[in-house]
Amino acid sequence: MGVVKESQSRISDGVEKNQLIVIALLAPLATFFGVLWFVPLGYSIWSSFFSNPLGASEFVGLSNYVTIITSNDFLYFLWNSVLFAVSTTLLCLLVGLFFALVVNRVIVGGSVLRTLMVFPYLLPTVVVVFLWQFLLDQNLGLVNRLLLDLGLISAPIAFFGDVSLAMPSIVAASVWKWGSFAFFILLANLQAIPQEYFERAKVQGASQWQQFRDITFPHLRGAILLILLVRGVWMFNKFDVIWLTTRGGPAGVTTTLPIRVYDLAIRLGRFGQGTALAVIMFLLLSMVGVVYFTVLNPEEEVAG
Amino acid sequence: MFERVLGGPGGLIPNAVQKRVWNVALYVIALLVVIFVLTPLYLMIVVAVQSPETLFSGGQLTLIPPKLSLDNFRTLIEQTPTVSYFVNSVIITGSSVFLSTALAVISGYSLTRFDLTGKSIIARIVLFSYMISPIVLAIPLYVIFFRLGLLNQYISAILAVTAISAPFSIWLMWQYFQNIPIAYEESAWTRGASRWRAARDIVLPLARPGYISVAIFAFAVAWNDYTMVRIVLNDQALYPLTVGSELIFQEVFVGWGEQMSMMLIMSFPPFLVAAFLQNYLLQGFNLGHG
Repeated sequence: MGVVKESQSRISDGVEKNQLIVIALLAPLATFFGVLWFVPLGYSIWSSFFSNPLGASEFVGLSNYVTIITSNDFLYFLWNSVLFAVSTTLLCLLVGLFFALVVNRVIVGGSVLRTLMVFPYLLPTVVVVFLWQFLLDQNLGLVNRLLLDLGLISAPIAFFGDVSLAMPSIVAASVWKWGSFAFFILLANLQAIPQEYFERAKVQGASQWQQFRDITFPHLRGAILLILLVRGVWMFNKFDVIWLTTRGGPAGVTTTLPIRVYDLAIRLGRFGQGTALAVIMFLLLSMVGVVYFTVLNPEEEVAG
Repeated sequence: MFERVLGGPGGLIPNAVQKRVWNVALYVIALLVVIFVLTPLYLMIVVAVQSPETLFSGGQLTLIPPKLSLDNFRTLIEQTPTVSYFVNSVIITGSSVFLSTALAVISGYSLTRFDLTGKSIIARIVLFSYMISPIVLAIPLYVIFFRLGLLNQYISAILAVTAISAPFSIWLMWQYFQNIPIAYEESAWTRGASRWRAARDIVLPLARPGYISVAIFAFAVAWNDYTMVRIVLNDQALYPLTVGSELIFQEVFVGWGEQMSMMLIMSFPPFLVAAFLQNYLLQGFNLGHG
């Protein structure tokens, strides 16, 4: 009896002590999100209702939002963002998928190829942009030299300065850097498919295409969806790769919403409008977030 | 249509042919991707290690250097603030990696070791925050740091970069701790170990691959960051390499060779990580789709 009582009181002591420990251990997390996420985002929302919070601020209600949404440029910049996000994401997915299929197959050199794919992902965007500017340079670039030698063009092209080629050039550099993201996720998923499935399919006379369609693809569907959603959102959000190559030019053809936010808030000093556009971006991404949470249920992995 | 042509027995193209075509196609694609990935890297190295005399000697870019030279690096180190920018990068990255990893380990541990209500809300906040554009966060942080007078302090860059890397670090660590059975600790507790001792001697060693992955991820974010630092840091003397290199490139005497050497210096730490720690990085991809 005595023993039982003692251990019970120790347990209830433990529960109270546990609560203190939990609070102490979760304090950094709460502080982090509070100070570095909620306060700045709240401040953004607050600022978006004022004319110029840095100087003499004046409450203007929703007029910053009205100005932005009714301006002719808004839909154009939104279109640029979507174009950039969709084209880079799809190309990353294609490059990553094909290359993952290859590396999954080859017996010799697979790990070398894998290491090769790590480099672009880890290199700073500044470096990637610089390398591509050099590669596509009008006077020295290898691409121009190759195209000239092959007789495909008669005069060198300024890729990043050309209205119709600036966006595709940025897309190429972006796929170079972020294609390995899709590659690694797809490779991991490929390697998790049990080999017996393919053995059995072969015995039953299934062709390569049928094996891909009925075994490989269904196993990759979740990963592909994830890549489309997450990579798509991240590309939509990209600032550095575009800012460093073209600053949003020429003639605004590469101006996406993040570039516009920077232009408005920092370059033009229209802070209220800049934060209003930031809030609009936030709302757009929230909609994608809702899709993400309902379709993929990612939180189930830790809280399910 | 696919089915009639590519189907198994009875398909228009026999399986053996399909297999051969597929294999050839795979190797062609592999070769193209390798060229695509390697060309820019090769150019970087080849331009960086040539002196200006040999670089354009034939009127065009020399692709196979006749003579190696470290002149470009010497010029950068002796005549520009490259070294101090490098030190700034190390300070900002090191502090941010430490903060991000520590936060992730503490949060991951407590979120998996205690019964809490509202875990799925926390999970959603964490996941949602890494879907928000860094620029959306950078603009208000700039104003807040401006008001607090922190624009000329390392701490503003460190905090801004950590804000970007921490949500994913937390997510990764949370998943990792989830996979470490609590039974190990429980048996230690019954043998009289305190919670702290069980955490330090049992859970932390088991979680080592997890927090190394997290640290590598936080390193990649911090070392590569341009956006956050450019916006929240006003003092040029504190710039890391990513932002500082822009200033150096405005100098008159800096040519392609010096610029590429700068890129190589900036790429060196990531190269080391890729060479020696890539398995941890890949583990992060498998766990939490980094």
